[in-house]
Amino acid sequence: MTRKNLLGSQVKRLLTSLSDHGNQHLTEVETDLVQTTYLLSEAIEKLGASFMAIHEGVAAQKELIDLLVSGAAATPEAQSRIKTLQDEVAQNINSAVTGLQFQDMTSQLIGRTVRRIAGLREVLGAVGSSGAEVLPDSEQEEVVALLSEISKALEEQSTKLESVLWKAVSQTHMESGDIELF
Amino acid sequence: MAKSILAVDDSGSLRQMVVFSLRAAGYQVTEAVDGQDGLDKAKAQVFDLVLTDQNMPRMDGLTLIRSLRAIANYQRVPILMLTTESSDDMKAKGRAAGANGWLVKPFDPQRLTEVVKKVLG
Repeated sequence: MTRKNLLGSQVKRLLTSLSDHGNQHLTEVETDLVQTTYLLSEAIEKLGASFMAIHEGVAAQKELIDLLVSGAAATPEAQSRIKTLQDEVAQNINSAVTGLQFQDMTSQLIGRTVRRIAGLREVLGAVGSSGAEVLPDSEQEEVVALLSEISKALEEQSTKLESVLWKAVSQTHMESGDIELF
Repeated sequence: MAKSILAVDDSGSLRQMVVFSLRAAGYQVTEAVDGQDGLDKAKAQVFDLVLTDQNMPRMDGLTLIRSLRAIANYQRVPILMLTTESSDDMKAKGRAAGANGWLVKPFDPQRLTEVVKKVLG
């Protein structure tokens, strides 16, 4: 391979690596943000529905209690209706408690995204610093060697970054999770 | 006397939901903000059940379980994991560490209290 070809090959390797690793990290950022959006949307929907149902249940109970206070007979039907309304409110409170857990999952996803962006900034910063070592009067062999080192460091740092960003949240819905007893 | 439960999670909002659900079911709940805090509190008082998250600063859930199982008072105390992690690999690690069950977040309060009741006998 000629010296010119070597230089071209190293430039190509560096640019390809930069593009591939940058693309991989940004795709993960995009995936995490989309997942966060799904979870937030479902949580808000669930919480909104629970809030309305609790409000309606409490209002219906109040109506019945007002009737009883005003002297109406506490018929078995009225008692049964109050019990049904209480059960419905309890069920909707449970649903709200499940929905309220969105913060735990979304904060983990956002934290992972923030760590990835900070790590990517460090990787790009290191590429920039190494690139600054290429001087206008550098020998071609030196440039080739430097580009090779930059590519290698970029690949290593990007892989290392990925390895510390374990994804602990795979949920895309706010439905309650599985339970397994050992 | 109400059974005592130690709830370990670094998420304040999640602990709040666990406390709300279990206290409503009649249990005494003590909170710990991470595995190390959980271990310290477990050493100061023997709980009837420990419910722990996995990914936490200072000490994760698996390390907490291993540490608790090394303490004589905690060799038979039920320990449940409550975590976003749902892979078979992590569940196997939990089981090997000494967990008695694995609950994937988000939890439903009724199902949580049913499991706690069952595990506590």
